[in-house]
Amino acid sequence: MNLTRRIACNPFILKSHGLSSAHFRLLTSKSDPLLEPALASSQHSTEARKPLAPPQYRFVYPEFLPDPNRVYRNPIREKLERMDMINRRTQIDIPEFYVGSILAVTSSDPHAAGKTSRFLGICIQRKFCGLRAEFVLRNYVDNQGVEITYQLYDPTIQKIDIIRLEKRLDSELLYLRDAYPEYSTFDLNMEPEILPEGSPVPLNKTMVKLKPRPWEQRWERKNFVGVSNILEIINEKMTKQMEDHKKPWEKYDLVMEYRKTIPEEEQQEIYAEVYSQLHELEIHRRKIKRSRSFIKPKKLG
Amino acid sequence: MSLLLQNTARGCINALQANVSRINILVPKRDKYKVGVPRLRNPEWFVRKRRTVHDDFITADNKTFIKEVISDKFGPPSLIKGVQTYKTELPKDLSTQLQTAEWNQRYKRCGAIARKIGVVPLWRKDGKRILTTMLQIVDNQVVKYIPPEEYQPAKKLVIPPRKKYGCLIVGAESTDPSLLTKDYCGLFADSGVMPKRILTRFFISPQAYIPPGTPINVNHFSVGDIVDVRGKTINRGFQGVMKRHGFSGMPATHGVTKTHRRGGNIGAGGEKARVWPGTKMPGHMGNKPRQARGLTIWRINTKFNVLWVSGQGIPGGNNSVVYIYDTILPLHRRKTPPPFPTAALGSDESLPDNIWSDELHDFKDSTIFYKPE
Amino acid sequence: MAPQLSGSVLSTLRNQIIRTNTHTIHTTAACNEIRKLARLRVVDNSTIGKTAMAEGKPPRCIHVYNKTGVGLVGDKVLVAIKGQMKRGILVGLKAQQKTKVPKFDSNNVVLTDDDGSPLGTRIHAPLPSTLRTILKEKSQKKGTDYTKLLAISTRFL
Repeated sequence: MNLTRRIACNPFILKSHGLSSAHFRLLTSKSDPLLEPALASSQHSTEARKPLAPPQYRFVYPEFLPDPNRVYRNPIREKLERMDMINRRTQIDIPEFYVGSILAVTSSDPHAAGKTSRFLGICIQRKFCGLRAEFVLRNYVDNQGVEITYQLYDPTIQKIDIIRLEKRLDSELLYLRDAYPEYSTFDLNMEPEILPEGSPVPLNKTMVKLKPRPWEQRWERKNFVGVSNILEIINEKMTKQMEDHKKPWEKYDLVMEYRKTIPEEEQQEIYAEVYSQLHELEIHRRKIKRSRSFIKPKKLG
Repeated sequence: MSLLLQNTARGCINALQANVSRINILVPKRDKYKVGVPRLRNPEWFVRKRRTVHDDFITADNKTFIKEVISDKFGPPSLIKGVQTYKTELPKDLSTQLQTAEWNQRYKRCGAIARKIGVVPLWRKDGKRILTTMLQIVDNQVVKYIPPEEYQPAKKLVIPPRKKYGCLIVGAESTDPSLLTKDYCGLFADSGVMPKRILTRFFISPQAYIPPGTPINVNHFSVGDIVDVRGKTINRGFQGVMKRHGFSGMPATHGVTKTHRRGGNIGAGGEKARVWPGTKMPGHMGNKPRQARGLTIWRINTKFNVLWVSGQGIPGGNNSVVYIYDTILPLHRRKTPPPFPTAALGSDESLPDNIWSDELHDFKDSTIFYKPE
Repeated sequence: MAPQLSGSVLSTLRNQIIRTNTHTIHTTAACNEIRKLARLRVVDNSTIGKTAMAEGKPPRCIHVYNKTGVGLVGDKVLVAIKGQMKRGILVGLKAQQKTKVPKFDSNNVVLTDDDGSPLGTRIHAPLPSTLRTILKEKSQKKGTDYTKLLAISTRFL
C-alpha cells in the first residue's frame, strides 16, 4: 500500500530526464488520504495487472524512458531496445548513479598499454536515452582538467564503480568547467564510500564558485542553483541582459511540460515491462555483494 | 479589293444555301495523337482508396455488426509480429502452389514493404560502434501477379526491354474494409487477401512467381545480405538555396543588405544570356522517391519482423514506408542462393528470435576484452 | 589564482592589468578548433616552452601540417614561440572528442625538433591513449620518430 500511496501523490506529469530535488520531496511527502479508497477500488477491479514498478525507477533507470519527441517514437523499436539494454545489464552491473556522483569506469582500450584503462571523476551530465545513453565524467589529473564521455551500453566497458553516491543541486554540472579546480579534483585511487543499505541518496549542497570570465557558456542565464558567485562576476550590462532572458512563464506552460515528458501511465507501462527482470538482477547483485563482504574464517590447525 | 470581297460573300451564300438542311460544325482533326486516348495509362490498382464515411447514420449495433462481418470473413483481429492485423486463414493449397525453384543470379526476386522505425547503435566485436536503421516488415502479402505477356506498362517504351519481367502486386497493413471504396476492395477479391493500406508492385522474373496470399516475412532476407531501400524523403516544402543545395550564402555584415541567404549570380550575359537548365535555385525540397543502395543487413528479429540495416540516412522520416529490394549494385550481387522465390510458409517459426551477424557483438555476450600484445 | 578572492575583485584586477599593459598577458579562452593563430599550451619542460608559459606568452599555432588546416590529436603544427618558429605535436584538445577519448580544458602541445624527438625531457600533463596508436602510425623508420615523445610521457588516459 505504501507503494501505491507514493504513486498517488505524484504530479500528473513526471520529468523524464533531469531530476530536481522537488520531485523527490513530492515522492516522499505523505499522500492525500482522499485518494486512497479510489485507488484501492481500482486495484480490486483489475487483479491480473502487471506488477507495478517502484516509483523511484524513473530516477534509477532514466534511460529506459524514450525520447518524448513524438517524431522519434515507435513502440516496437523501444521494446527491442529495452530488451537489448537488459541483456547488456545481465553482463555488467550498471549501478544507480546521478549527476554529481563520483564514478570510476574501467574499460577495454586497444590503445592502452595493458589494454584496459580506468578513469575516475564526477558525473557532470547524463544524456540521450535507450542504447545511446551516455554520461560524462570530469576530473583534474596532474592539474589538467579532463573530461571523458562514456556510453552506458558500450560492451567494452568492463566495470562501473560507484565511489560516492550523491546528488547535487542541479541536473547538469557543466559549469564545473568554468569553476575553480578544487570542485572537480578527485584522487584517481579514491576508496569507495559505502552507504548503508536502504538509506536515501544524500544531496550534496555544495555551492560552486566560478572563475572570472571568459566562460564557455552564459551560465548566468541558465538559472543554476548550485553556483554562488555569478552575480559578483558579471557586469551591469550582463545583469540587465540576464533579466531580459528570464522566462518566468515557462513554469506555467503545461503544454511545454507535456511535450518534454513521458506521461505517467506510459512510464508505468514501460517499467512494468522491465521490472521483473531488473528486480531479479538487483537481487542477484545484492547476493553477490554480500557473499563478497563475508570473509570465510580459516580453519585452525 | 471590292471584287474579292464580293466573291467571298457570294461563296458564303452559296455554301449556306447548299447546307441549309444539315448544319455541320467542323472539328479540326489532330493527327499527332488519337483523341480520347491518354498518353499515360495508370495501372489498374490506382483506384480511389478511401470512402467518405458518414458516421452519424451508423448505430452502435450496426457498428458491432460490421465488425462481426469483418471477423467472420477475414478472421479475428489480432496482434501478429507486433503489427495490429487480422488473423486470416491462408488458402489450403498455398504451400503446394508455392514451389521452391532453382535460383539463378539473373533472376529478380520480390521485395518487401517496411516501415522505418528508428536508428539505433550496435557494436561490432572489435568494440566499434555502428549506427543502424531498424526496418519493420509490416504484414506483407502477395495480392496479384501479372505475367510479362499481360502486363502493360504505364507508358510503352519505343524500344521494348530485352528482359521481360512480370509484375507482382504486394500489399501491407490490413485495414478495416468498411473504410475503403468498393473498387479498391475489389482488387483483393480474387486472392482472398484482406484489403491492405499500402499497395506496391515489384517487377520479378517469371521464375520468382509467388502465389497470391503468400505472406512475406523477414526470413525472405538473411543476415549479411545487401539490399537497396527506397523511400520518400522528408517533405521540407519550398526552401532556399542554402538549405536545398548547401550554398554558403553571403556575409551577415560588412555592408551587405538584403542578400544574406540568396544564391547570387545564376549565369553570364553575352551569348548565354539565359538561365541554363538545371541551375540550382530555390524550390520545393524533399518528398521525392530516393534510394539508399548497398546496405548490409546486420541483424534480424524474426519475432517482430525487424531488420537492422547499416546507415542512418535512409530516405524518409521515422515511421514512414520504405521498400526493400535485393541490391542492383553489380559488385554486391549475391553469390549464394537466397530463399527462392521466398521462404517456405511457417519456416520462420523454427528460427531463433534474434539472428546476429558474425561481426556483431550480441548484448548477451560477455564484455569485450582486447588481447595484450 | 586563489579561489578565496571574490570573482569581481579578480575581474577588475585583470581589466586593470590589460588596460595598463596590453601586450603582457593574454586572457582569451582556449579555442575549440586549432587553426592558424590559435593559442596553445606547452606541456613539456623544454626551457623555451617553460619560459614562454611563465611569461604569459603562450605560443601561437602558425601552421597545421594536414590537409584540412584544422589540427586534431597527433597532428604536427608549427608554432611561433618567443620570436622563434618551432615544431610541435598536438597532444590534447579542448574540442569535443569521440567517446572514451579524453577532452582537455586546454590545447596542449609538445615542442619537438624536425625529427619528431621532443625538446624537453618530461611531459607534465596526461596524454590521450589514442595518441600512442596515432603517433606509432605516423613515425617512419627513417625520418620522424615519435617513440621518444611517448617514452617521456607520465600518464595516459
